[in-house]
Amino acid sequence: MRNSIKLPFGSWSRLRGHNNEGILALVLFALVGTISYLNPVFFSFSTLFSTMRGSIVPLIFALGVLIVIISGGIDVSFAAIAIFSAYTTVKFLNDGAIDPGLLGITLIAVLFGLVLGFFNGLVISLFKLPTLIVTLGTQSLFKGILLAYIGSRYIANPPLSLDEVAKTNLVTIIGEDGRGAYLHVLVIPAIVLALLIAWMLKRTMFGRAVYAIGGDSEAARRAGFPVVRVQIFVYGLAGALAAIAGVMHVTLGRNANPQDLVGNELDVIAAVVLGGASVFGGRGSVLGTTLGVLIIQVINNSLILAGVPTAWQRAAVGILLIVGVGIQALSAKRKTHSRSTSSIASKVLED
Amino acid sequence: MKDKRNIANPMKTVNNQADSLVRGLIGRGKSNQGTARMLLILLAAFAFFTFLEPEIFLNPVNLSNIMIASPEIGVLSIAMMLAMLTGGIDLSIVAIANLSAITITTIYSELAAVEQEQATSLVLIIIILGLLVGVGAGLLNGFLISYVGIAPILATLGTMQIFNGIAIVWTGGKTLYGAPEQLSAMGKIGVLNVPVLFIAFVAIAIAVATFLNKSSLGRKTQLLGTNSVAATYSGINTKLVLMMTYVITGLLGGVAGILFLVRNPTSSADYGSSYVLLVIVVAVLGGTNPNGGFATVAGVVLATLALQTLASGFIAIRLSAYEYAIAQGSILILVMILDQLSTIRKRKKLPQKSLKVKTKEAAS
Repeated sequence: MRNSIKLPFGSWSRLRGHNNEGILALVLFALVGTISYLNPVFFSFSTLFSTMRGSIVPLIFALGVLIVIISGGIDVSFAAIAIFSAYTTVKFLNDGAIDPGLLGITLIAVLFGLVLGFFNGLVISLFKLPTLIVTLGTQSLFKGILLAYIGSRYIANPPLSLDEVAKTNLVTIIGEDGRGAYLHVLVIPAIVLALLIAWMLKRTMFGRAVYAIGGDSEAARRAGFPVVRVQIFVYGLAGALAAIAGVMHVTLGRNANPQDLVGNELDVIAAVVLGGASVFGGRGSVLGTTLGVLIIQVINNSLILAGVPTAWQRAAVGILLIVGVGIQALSAKRKTHSRSTSSIASKVLED
Repeated sequence: MKDKRNIANPMKTVNNQADSLVRGLIGRGKSNQGTARMLLILLAAFAFFTFLEPEIFLNPVNLSNIMIASPEIGVLSIAMMLAMLTGGIDLSIVAIANLSAITITTIYSELAAVEQEQATSLVLIIIILGLLVGVGAGLLNGFLISYVGIAPILATLGTMQIFNGIAIVWTGGKTLYGAPEQLSAMGKIGVLNVPVLFIAFVAIAIAVATFLNKSSLGRKTQLLGTNSVAATYSGINTKLVLMMTYVITGLLGGVAGILFLVRNPTSSADYGSSYVLLVIVVAVLGGTNPNGGFATVAGVVLATLALQTLASGFIAIRLSAYEYAIAQGSILILVMILDQLSTIRKRKKLPQKSLKVKTKEAAS
């Protein structure tokens, strides 16, 4: 079962990490190394900072999706929740000419996100429905309500405080050629959120409950976890994170477009899955997800620097995803082979 | 139970009774429920919009628009249903359909640029090539899911990106013109005011239904979805059956690609990108159990028509597409909840009924 190859600095399995984080880090380094080798322009602060900036919104989305996937579900409504919360908040504030600042705006949006997320959670956990189908329905529902009753017009002037944030950089490095590299200030909340979620998943009772339910919800119930309550909270949290991502999207883009975001859900899910989370639940880590998001960002933004035409981006992400999950599937198969008798017995019992 | 010799025959009848009861409850009951419900929604929607806006809604143009818009979504939904029947899902079918449409358009327009007559004579072969692209894509999906063992949702999420990526590379992200004229000409003819496109849709649906219910592979697919362990122990090569299911799904994707071209003589990599999630909705509304085992082609066809009727009815009474999205989402969630409540109720009833059967048997 354990095929650990002894390396001079610890065992191979430890290097790999629980969810193949080690392999992902290697892939990321290899990707960066190859592109830098092919095109030295790539290896610069400018690329680093713009990749980080591009990762802010996908990372926060991915954190919400990660929690849902660990709990054994899948959420495709998060983009609808994000734009619903952000657009509604911006529209009401603009109509009332109120500007509570970034924090205030985020808090209001998070309230919307929580409500919509709880709605997902209630429908899913009370009626024990398949999560994909329910969130497909709520995606259509939320987007419909937003566009039909709240507004379908593009808002070009979000509250001024957001504009101020949009222009704030954390680090500015002006190179010798006069071209600057700017690290956007919003990477701080993204990193803080990632650390918070990692802490929550690993160190709190709620986090352990999420893993337990994703591993086996019946076992979790018998062990005394309040399954329904945890599930509702998982979707509420995913909704809140989506709302934060929505506000950041509006801030970074300096406009609120109700048609934005929806339609790119599968890309975020691909990043989370690439990051080692299992769609069957019970497995996944913030570190892996972050690496998954970064790898996809590098592919999307920088493959062109290695001489690969932009048209190949999508195919490249697809191939990486298939190879990634293929290796996982094959190694899982090898594991079950070595204990096949017991697994067949348990399968027969299950059925 | 004590007196085994005497009840040999009654045992058999009880067995048969229980068997038909269980079959009726979970087999036919569930799938027919979806069909009946969709028929009800379709008729109700039709009556409702006819009552509100008879002139607009019953206008032949509107009716034929419903019939022209349905086939491509319908065929994709039937393909999705097949994948869901085995407990899987195919997120890549829209990408497959586009790839097949792009194949046909490119080959045809390149041949036509050289020699128009030759292109016209080879049109059938070109269309078959388009279908083969679908089959090849299905083979890749099936191999990854069945032999490599990747979860269907992940495998097809990845291949969706790959197929879509190939389509982007191939077209350079542009819309291609110059699909075979014969195909677009087909879209314009009709028999007794019924568009040929719609007749083709019905024919495809009947073919898939016959395949599922009459052919050996179709029956095996159904068993595989109901209980894969039982299927393995019945001597079915489950891996091969699973793979063939995705091959047929891919083939139907190719067929949908041809329907795209019949309706609209252009092809592009991002045509119908919003269809992926829509066809899942249609399949589930048509009574397909997302966990596998139950599905009917009739249910999916009716769900397609019901949703199209709703969509055009909403336009007829001047509601926006956004309000239609709300209706679609609410119907999906409500249908799922009603379904679940009725299964819970049935499950509660089931032990009581079998008790009754037992007491009857004891009395006799």
